Amino acid sequence: MELRAYIVRRLLLIIPVLFGVTLLIFALLQLFSPVERVALYVTNPRQFASVADMIAKYGLDQPVWVQYGHWINQIFHGNLGWSTVVSQPVTSAMLNFLPATLELAIFATPLIIFGGIFLGSKAAAHKDKAIDHATRLGAIVGWSLPTFWLGLMLLMVFYGLFTGLLPPERLSTEMNILVHSESFTQYTGLHFLDAILNGNGRVLLDSLRHLVLPVMTLTIVSMAFIMRLMRSSMLEALGKGYILTARAKGLDENTVVSKHARRNALIPVLTVSGYIFAGLVNGVVITETIFNYKGLGWWTWQSAVNLDISGILAFALFNGVLFVFTNLVVDLLYARIDPRVRLGGKVT
Amino acid sequence: MTGLRFILYQLRKNPLSIIGIAILLTFIIIAIFAPIIAPPPEGHIDPYMIPRDGYSPVPKPPSEEHIFGTTQGQYDIFYGVIWGTRSAFRVGLIVIGVVLVVGIVLGSIAGYFGGIIDEIIMRVTDIFMAFPALILAMAITVALGPSLNSVIIALIVVSWPSYARLIRGDILAVREENYVEAARGIGGSHFRIITRHILPNSIYPTLIMASLDIGAVVLSAAALSFLGLGAPEGYVDWGQMISFSRNWIVGPPGNPLAYWYTVTIPGLFILLFVLGWNLLGDAFRDILDPRLSRK
Amino acid sequence: MNELLTIRGLTVKFYTYDGVVQALDNLDLDIKQKETFGLVGETGCGKTLTALSILRLISPPGRIESGSIYFNADSGDKPIDLLAISEEEIRAIRGSKISMIFQEPSAALNPVYTIGDQVSEVILLHRRQELVNKAIETVTASLAGRNSFVNILANPIRLAERSLYQKIAQNPHSLWPRIVGRIPLVRRLLQRLKDEAKKMAISMLKEVEIPDSERVARQYPHQLSGGMEQRAVIAMALACSPKFLIADEPTTSLDVTIQDQILELLHRLKSERESSVLYITHDLGVAAQICDRIGVMYAGSLCEIARVDDLYANPLHPYTKALLAAVPKPGEEPHAIGGIVPDPLELPSGCRFHPRCSRAIGICREHVPPMHELAPGHFIACHNYQGETGGSSC
Repeated sequence: MELRAYIVRRLLLIIPVLFGVTLLIFALLQLFSPVERVALYVTNPRQFASVADMIAKYGLDQPVWVQYGHWINQIFHGNLGWSTVVSQPVTSAMLNFLPATLELAIFATPLIIFGGIFLGSKAAAHKDKAIDHATRLGAIVGWSLPTFWLGLMLLMVFYGLFTGLLPPERLSTEMNILVHSESFTQYTGLHFLDAILNGNGRVLLDSLRHLVLPVMTLTIVSMAFIMRLMRSSMLEALGKGYILTARAKGLDENTVVSKHARRNALIPVLTVSGYIFAGLVNGVVITETIFNYKGLGWWTWQSAVNLDISGILAFALFNGVLFVFTNLVVDLLYARIDPRVRLGGKVT
Repeated sequence: MTGLRFILYQLRKNPLSIIGIAILLTFIIIAIFAPIIAPPPEGHIDPYMIPRDGYSPVPKPPSEEHIFGTTQGQYDIFYGVIWGTRSAFRVGLIVIGVVLVVGIVLGSIAGYFGGIIDEIIMRVTDIFMAFPALILAMAITVALGPSLNSVIIALIVVSWPSYARLIRGDILAVREENYVEAARGIGGSHFRIITRHILPNSIYPTLIMASLDIGAVVLSAAALSFLGLGAPEGYVDWGQMISFSRNWIVGPPGNPLAYWYTVTIPGLFILLFVLGWNLLGDAFRDILDPRLSRK
Repeated sequence: MNELLTIRGLTVKFYTYDGVVQALDNLDLDIKQKETFGLVGETGCGKTLTALSILRLISPPGRIESGSIYFNADSGDKPIDLLAISEEEIRAIRGSKISMIFQEPSAALNPVYTIGDQVSEVILLHRRQELVNKAIETVTASLAGRNSFVNILANPIRLAERSLYQKIAQNPHSLWPRIVGRIPLVRRLLQRLKDEAKKMAISMLKEVEIPDSERVARQYPHQLSGGMEQRAVIAMALACSPKFLIADEPTTSLDVTIQDQILELLHRLKSERESSVLYITHDLGVAAQICDRIGVMYAGSLCEIARVDDLYANPLHPYTKALLAAVPKPGEEPHAIGGIVPDPLELPSGCRFHPRCSRAIGICREHVPPMHELAPGHFIACHNYQGETGGSSC
């Protein structure tokens, strides 16, 4: 079947790309001196004392391909090096910081996607009327906003002006102590979820309060993008012949737009959603930095600013791989939704 | 209708694009006349470093001496934002310029010759595009050592793949056209065919998109500087100035917005700059799309 | 009443940047019951606009300025003015009493829905009462089945289904069924309606001579050839047995052999269902094949209307004569019509055709010639024939 062949082909194509991704990171690695590169092989801080031995052991002064071999080997053994910034092995650091970022993503993603799609279709359906101009203006301004500036401004207003209403970081000090205490079980590490599971309303409220601003900062720029895309995609779909047919059948305008136009209009938006994910990762670094929200993004920034290469490179590698797989999923979804890709070719 | 009249009609119909053009023109004027608008004080050596009026970490509000106030370390904000226009244009134009050249060359080769060359180039772009732009840029700036030049290089490395792809697509569309066949028929060399026949017809959308990405590039550069990976402290860079304001988001109790000018003013400049490019971009996109504009 | 559709004084204008375009000018047209009326003319003369106006499908910057279109829906009732009724009323007519098929079948079909879905859609919309009754029948029959274990589990569900269907039967807009239809899992209760509609859709596909219609119903438009797609479009249009079918150049984009088949099909279906057809085309040959009467249009106005034999044997209007003469015959030189079609923004004054007319006289530039009946059933709008009856004067 067409689809099966397509899936297999796509999966095969991933391999060279993943290989290339590791190559690129490795190339960046080479810009550092062997001494600095040792950090990537370290599992505990005492090893820093015997740098020369480390260099010899991992062949850091040997030809490039040997080094690549060692390095890939390390990676597959789960050793991504030592993060001096948080004094932990990189792998465990990433696992520790992941839930916080996940919390942001869980709230931001549906907002971006559904909010953007909804506003975009409304704007297209009422083209050139007030709501269209308003949404377009909003979208353009939103897309022009520096994310970090938006975050700072929001903080200034909602934390400064409305004293302490929507604070930075993940939890207030009080709640933080509570969360790490005996009386609270951290099932997932996502505070709002754990709060629900623990039946603790105060922690839940506190966690949500702290989430509002970062989520807002993350969403606005990406939502603007989806809005614009959805609008133009809807307008294109609405100009097609099958829309006239649908009207000629006697369907009401609502059905014409939502049933006939929208499904076709969603296809380009879906294709783009991979890039939205990338945008989210970018945004997360900045957002977490601004709000001192200790997640993966914050850790990456600390690593970058302190020139801790194992950290930043690990994060880059992680993202590269994740992105490749996300794109694969998107491509497969796309093949599923658009029957032209799925089935291909004439039959009768 | 002649092309120019049509474009003007479309622009008139779209007031937002007029605003965009106005904004950009204003910035161009500011950039050119920066030394006159905000002259460096006597004895100040490097005009691209913001002059300091003291060393106190506490920002001072707008006054006669410092029209927009000073930021942490007594750097004059007015001077910073005015000269910052030059940095912005510099980063934007260099990055986009280089990216266009690289993108055109690689994209043309891939699109024109097809086959395995195309595949290889496409795989390479895949690899670069597999990274979220900011992350890769961060990694590169760290590797090269933080500075504005590292930022420029990083942004070039991160941005060229999408342009190569864009141009490749345009070339693929145009390649099978009759006049290309004709050119091949009379025995033109590959280079000649590409430059004289294919590129002129396929390049306009890409050129326009590129010029509009200048806004996005400046945004990324500002982000990197904000994170501390770009321009050094005190440089005339909008993003760098905002990173100073981080500690002064919330003022003393009773006057929480005391230091608003440290954040708001540089940020406003960035916003307006990018907004101008985006408004223009939106207008051009509407014009170029025949379906939407012919209503 | 012999007239199915009566158009009087239809005027359509387009408000564009370059000016106001007079697309249709005071058009008068009658279409009788059970006849195939051909609307012939060059591209851009307004044929499609006339068709779209009937169903009120003109969108901005176009506007129906004035006129009336009386439609004799049921022979007993009074004819209704299609241009005066409400949105809801005209939507009830679209697809059920008056249907339209378009030129490009691949553009007319939505690529992301199956053929079966798209045909069922119009059935679900307009033949709801039938579907509901059928559904009630089948569900009642299954309720009366044996007292098996399966039935004991399923019967409560079936009872729920039946009550829903009965509600719809009483009041098509009743609230409960509409709510149920929106809730994801519960809406399976209304599945019978869709199944019935699907069955009807498949039989409709059979009628338009699509082989293996069950399989085709599951396919998507891009998997069919042009001819098949057009048949599917015809199935969609005729699914609710309209009294009036508008066909806008349905065969122009198809192969000549397929063209014949489609024409054949249309002819057969039309006589079986005793409906009227408005057949729009620029191809005189096709028009001669299947039409009973023909109207010739030029630049937004009708020039001549006559029965098919009369028109071809005895064309009166200079434009008609020129058109017929321009048809290439083997062995002869083609005679093109001198001049070009006028710019819609700068229409000639008086009779639109006068700049290109070999028989133009002074008055042609001043006044638009009125349409009048020269011979029984033969209408002409030309100053050369004013005040005459019977015969031709060349």
